[in-house]
Amino acid sequence: MSEQTPRRVYDAIVVGSGISGGWAAKELTERGLHTIVLEAGGPVDFGGKDFVEHIQPYDMKFRGWGDRHALERDQPVQRQCYACDETGRKFFVNDHENPYTSPSDAPFKWFRGRQVGGRSIMWGRQVYRWSDLDFEANARDGHGTDWPIRYKDIAPWYSHVERFIGVTGAKEGLPQLPDGEFLPPMAMTVVERAARERILKAFGGERVMTIGRAAILTKNHNGRAACHYCGPCERGCVTHSYFNSIGSTLPAAERTGRLTLRPHSVVAEVLYDAKRGRARGVRVIDAQTKKEMVFEAKVVFLCASAIESVRLLLNSSSTRFPDGLANSSGTLGRYVMDHHYGSGAGGTMPGFLDQRTIGSRPNGIYVARFRNVTTPSKDFLRGYGMQGGSGRSGWGRGSGMPGFGAAFKQSLIDDLGPWSLSVGGWGETLPHPDNRITLDPEVKDAWGIPAARIDVRWRENELAMNKDIIASAVELMEAAGCTNVRPNRTMQPPGHCIHEMGGARMGKTAQDGVLNRWNQAWDVPNLFITDGAAMASSACQNPSITYMALTARAAAHAVAELKRRSL
Amino acid sequence: MRRRDLLRAAAASAALVLLPRDAEAAWARALGQPNAADPGAMPETTQGTAFSATQRATLLALADALIPRTDTPGANDVRVIDWIDVIMADYYSAEERTVLTTGLDAIEALAQQMSGRAFASLTGEPLTRVMTALDGATDRTTAAAKGYQRAKGLVVHGYFTSARVQREVLKTQIMPGRFVGDAPLRTTTGGSHHE
Repeated sequence: MSEQTPRRVYDAIVVGSGISGGWAAKELTERGLHTIVLEAGGPVDFGGKDFVEHIQPYDMKFRGWGDRHALERDQPVQRQCYACDETGRKFFVNDHENPYTSPSDAPFKWFRGRQVGGRSIMWGRQVYRWSDLDFEANARDGHGTDWPIRYKDIAPWYSHVERFIGVTGAKEGLPQLPDGEFLPPMAMTVVERAARERILKAFGGERVMTIGRAAILTKNHNGRAACHYCGPCERGCVTHSYFNSIGSTLPAAERTGRLTLRPHSVVAEVLYDAKRGRARGVRVIDAQTKKEMVFEAKVVFLCASAIESVRLLLNSSSTRFPDGLANSSGTLGRYVMDHHYGSGAGGTMPGFLDQRTIGSRPNGIYVARFRNVTTPSKDFLRGYGMQGGSGRSGWGRGSGMPGFGAAFKQSLIDDLGPWSLSVGGWGETLPHPDNRITLDPEVKDAWGIPAARIDVRWRENELAMNKDIIASAVELMEAAGCTNVRPNRTMQPPGHCIHEMGGARMGKTAQDGVLNRWNQAWDVPNLFITDGAAMASSACQNPSITYMALTARAAAHAVAELKRRSL
Repeated sequence: MRRRDLLRAAAASAALVLLPRDAEAAWARALGQPNAADPGAMPETTQGTAFSATQRATLLALADALIPRTDTPGANDVRVIDWIDVIMADYYSAEERTVLTTGLDAIEALAQQMSGRAFASLTGEPLTRVMTALDGATDRTTAAAKGYQRAKGLVVHGYFTSARVQREVLKTQIMPGRFVGDAPLRTTTGGSHHE
């Protein structure tokens, strides 16, 4: 790096502008810090050309099937995500510019978005609090390291986040799935209501099917409009009815007058000042000009996503930290997790043919974890939640339905077909040291930064749990009264669930993890990592709200420490 | 997105009345640039390159037999063939194109074999007999059966995703403004938003 590299000094640097980065920006600026957010991707014009949720099939060249040849050419990995479709593919990276590697016998799917807003633009929006069943899990069975926090530490921050983002859900009073501060729940379908009651009865109340808890507004909230039920949130939302950072946290940060947002800023390295034992700032490559520059700050927040933040630390080695910054514990890059998912069951629900849905509900149903809550399993540790939905297929059943001619056509117009109901499991993954991210010795990205090499495998516990997911999904469908119940045995490879986490975990001591109870690096006190990398276990709940709560909590702590001059 | 669709959707949506100012501004900007939002700069069709004249005639006749005009438009009224041309030119692999073209040839051969006439010239009972043979085929691995299933999928998808059918037949609401999970079947209109 040349001495002429331009220098800019801020109070805080935030790397990444997605779910976690947006929260870091909001909390740090609102607490008085002049903050620069460095985003590797470009800006998104939410009101103009980029948010296209109301595009109808007839306005798309391929009528929703996607530009297959372009996807196969540019996004062979990304296209495997459901949201990377004809209109949504611009929110996913080009796989050739952004390579990663994995062993041939351990495929890993890494679905990524590089733009202002990150993956908060096309995320699944499901939000579930963790409970002490989750925070105590590692301590109880000895896998992974004990979390240095418990539910009481994070509960007020869950509330803080929920009040700002708006979360729809129904209170159920389940200790393993704590209720939040909910906006009114979305309606269950008539079939889901029947299934809920029948399942409650069949399993003595142990298995609870509830409406999904989602970061979508069911009434106007904090200057954002209630959902209008058009359906495809993953394409964007001009009314900001679902939570993303560009419609909520980043504007809040902007309003303080202390935010600088710099798109096209690929962070290559966290610079370490060995004399002070602190992070000095970051080295950035401008994505467009490829020019290098340095930004300096009193505090650095990494919110680049679990794998990116770990990769960045691994690429920030020095004499003091030859194996990656803040890695005196040797745990950096290890204990990487995702949720194993894809398996479940579906069936046909007889009856209810005189009823239908109106509107596209961008939310499903959720079955709270029941394994190893009250009834222990002899086959595996931890547990899973289930997600699913119901509906009538309408004309979509036409290509597989026998018939032709006027009656065939009229049936597709008038009859919606039978109701279907399905659920699939989202399973907890045990933290394992060999589920690991390293730097690939050869492959580099378009900016010359070494690519991540990701070796994550489903192991004995995940495979045993997956079997149970299929069996209990079948039981649920049968208890609900379904006929034609079909097990689904598709267990997706790691990464596919897009809940990748771990790699820079929290630990109770500097020997146990990269981060302390405040998401603060044990080795580098002014360095905070508040995305999924911080997770010491995976639980089975969708993790984003936990990242948000931990980020807000860490930002408050960082500012307090700065004021005490202890950073 | 076409401006009039958006305006119609907006007017129909209870949610829009409640839009906060920021969202309203975003909405106005979206309305101001309808074409920028439109990735479907509509298909440049490469008509005729993928099908022979006979194959095209067979496909048009098959589309009409699958979804004929009644009191609502038929498959050819909404020009399903135009979209199939797009799929043939810019979506299918060479192998998939061949499944359809050789399938159409096999359907034509079947018509000749069963009735001594071109598929495209069949009407009434002879047409019904050939269609029944294709639709009810127990062996799904023949060229005719594979071509028929593929063509049927294309015709159904192309028909129900067409602007005219979405607007006039299914009366799809773009912004319903509410979700009801137990509405009576007949009290309202609206197709499934996504297939």
